[in-house]
Amino acid sequence: MASLLCRGILMYPPLLNYAAFLRRKSHVFYCTMSTTEAQTATQGSQSTQIKISPHRKKKGLDNILKDYEAIIGIETHVQLSTLTKAFCCCLYNYGSQPNSNICPVCMGLPGALPVLNSKVIECAVKLGLALNCKLNLKSKFDRKQYFYPDLPKGYQISQFDVPIAYGGHIDLDLPVEFGGGHRRFGITRVHMEEDAGKLLHSGNGSYSQVDLNRAGVPLLEIVSEPDMRNGIEAAEYAAEIQRLVRYLGVSNGNMQEGSLRCDVNVSVRPIGQAKFGTKVEIKNLNSFSSVNRAIDFEIARQALLLSEGQDDQIVQETRLWEEGSQKTVTMRKKEGLSDYRYFPEPDLPGVTLTKDYVDSIRNCLPELPEVKRRRYEKMGLSMQDVLFLANDVNVAEFFDATIAKGADVKLAANWIMGDIAAYMKNEKLSIDEIKLTPQELAELIASIKRGTISGKIGKEILFELMAKGGTVKGMIEEKDLVQITDPAEIEKMVDKVLLDNPKQLEQYRGGKTKLQGFFAGQVMKASKGKANPGLLNKVLLEKLNATS
Amino acid sequence: MAMASRALLLLGGATPTNHRRLLFTRGVATFSSSISLLHAKLDRVIIRCCSTSNSPSPSSSLEPPDVPRLAATARISLTPQEIEEFTPKIRQVVDWFGQLQDVELQTVEPALRADTDGDQLREDVPETFDNREALISSVPSYEEPFIKVPKVLNKESE
Repeated sequence: MASLLCRGILMYPPLLNYAAFLRRKSHVFYCTMSTTEAQTATQGSQSTQIKISPHRKKKGLDNILKDYEAIIGIETHVQLSTLTKAFCCCLYNYGSQPNSNICPVCMGLPGALPVLNSKVIECAVKLGLALNCKLNLKSKFDRKQYFYPDLPKGYQISQFDVPIAYGGHIDLDLPVEFGGGHRRFGITRVHMEEDAGKLLHSGNGSYSQVDLNRAGVPLLEIVSEPDMRNGIEAAEYAAEIQRLVRYLGVSNGNMQEGSLRCDVNVSVRPIGQAKFGTKVEIKNLNSFSSVNRAIDFEIARQALLLSEGQDDQIVQETRLWEEGSQKTVTMRKKEGLSDYRYFPEPDLPGVTLTKDYVDSIRNCLPELPEVKRRRYEKMGLSMQDVLFLANDVNVAEFFDATIAKGADVKLAANWIMGDIAAYMKNEKLSIDEIKLTPQELAELIASIKRGTISGKIGKEILFELMAKGGTVKGMIEEKDLVQITDPAEIEKMVDKVLLDNPKQLEQYRGGKTKLQGFFAGQVMKASKGKANPGLLNKVLLEKLNATS
Repeated sequence: MAMASRALLLLGGATPTNHRRLLFTRGVATFSSSISLLHAKLDRVIIRCCSTSNSPSPSSSLEPPDVPRLAATARISLTPQEIEEFTPKIRQVVDWFGQLQDVELQTVEPALRADTDGDQLREDVPETFDNREALISSVPSYEEPFIKVPKVLNKESE
């Protein structure tokens, strides 16, 4: 059967249709489960047609993919959230009026000299340490020459042979919905460099437009070892880098604004082959899901070509991910290795780090995502909870502050992941923007646990606290929300409800015991939600069954 | 340094007619007299040989210049005739520099830059350059708020 399917694919005009083929594959991926029988049933009648059903194509692709392995490495550019640029005092603000933050240095005017921003070194050391790298106590800047209109000097100040950090690794946990599992990926190096300006291509004009605000903004380039094997691993690597730079406060890590940019290298080889396949670079990946999808598309494209014996169609090139068509397209072919004519930057002194300086930064590092996740795991939280809470540094801090106030760990996690997260999502707010404080969340949890208020009232208070602020105590007093736990008082309410609903009482006693819920609801309503539910039900049952 | 200034290999010049002028390039030195331009197109690979009595060493250890590649890195197109014409001339200059290969450097520490005492760093404090108008007015082609450049879609590098 398998070989038959493969033959079916080979019959397909080579190369012409793999894009459509793969595109369809993604639809099928989600519907295969429910349509398997229908597909199987119709396959016989389709055999006379040239067109192959998407289902069979998908199966064929899976068959091909299992014979190949992908090698993926990622270069990540992180734009630092310094106030000023790397080598001049110009302010940098995303979204400023074009060409408003410029000076002779970042415009590359003759005679202007760069002076390094000390904050750039601080960020590089922080990130280097957080990525478990070794540091070069003596590194230097180099010039990387290339011509492009967004690069005013004609060269980029970068680090070539002696990067500030090298030889590290990053740990991460794959999401539970993708099968979970812990991964460690190697970090080849981290180096400092400057960003280029922004080039905009006018729609149909014969010219392009340059905005130099971004020219000279500091970047850290993180080069990974080729340790990833599929789209999910790569996307999670990128997500962990984002988490890390946000925890460290060195960058906002925003992919849409281009503060975090991933270039991915993908090569595919038959399993068992020692030699690497031809490396293809993919750019224009501005979300984690596009990293994931672009890589899986590219792996399938290359595996398909290899399986068809069209190895020569895989060339060393740069491809762009097209979000609209969900495929990668050729951007430019590489003709040999680019010649950047690197040489040491003569306008800048070498970068020297002292041991004391490195130690002072090491001692001030915050708790990093991996350490936090392991700590949460030890507290007994599920991996789902751990990943959610540690994902956003602000959420993690909120959670930590809540449990520091004595709140129950699992209850605090449930409140944050449930009602609080839902509220933040609806109102498009971050956890710092809601009015609820960790102190009050801890108080709320304690009040429910003590029985001062019911869980239902607690939920109502929570929404008020998030929207308006205030304290749990104040709100309980102000609104007279203290739970009624006095049996005598509840008895009184139950009696009144039974008296007011003689018909239902008769029906209940006649065997329609489902009506208990109706009575419970009426009593709860009469108590304005304050009656202790357990006590209410106990008293109610006694009364309902009293004379029967 | 004296030697270097006597023979300049300037990559990245511009003429008003050449739209490359819109690219900002550093290393565009001001040059005035005694330059005979080999060809209008060659203005981006300007070779200025000084009238030195030292004749080029024929046994230079430097690689002979690959003019088509040089032209490609400088992003200019040359005709086969031009390549033929320029090759010996550029070679002459390279050979002239090649004499530096003979200097004994084994015992000398590399001096990449003029090192100064103390760290040459600045604080991350913004300062606005106050003569932005002069910067903008020196841009050859500007259309508020952008610098206009010839359409380039194929990037050589990141």
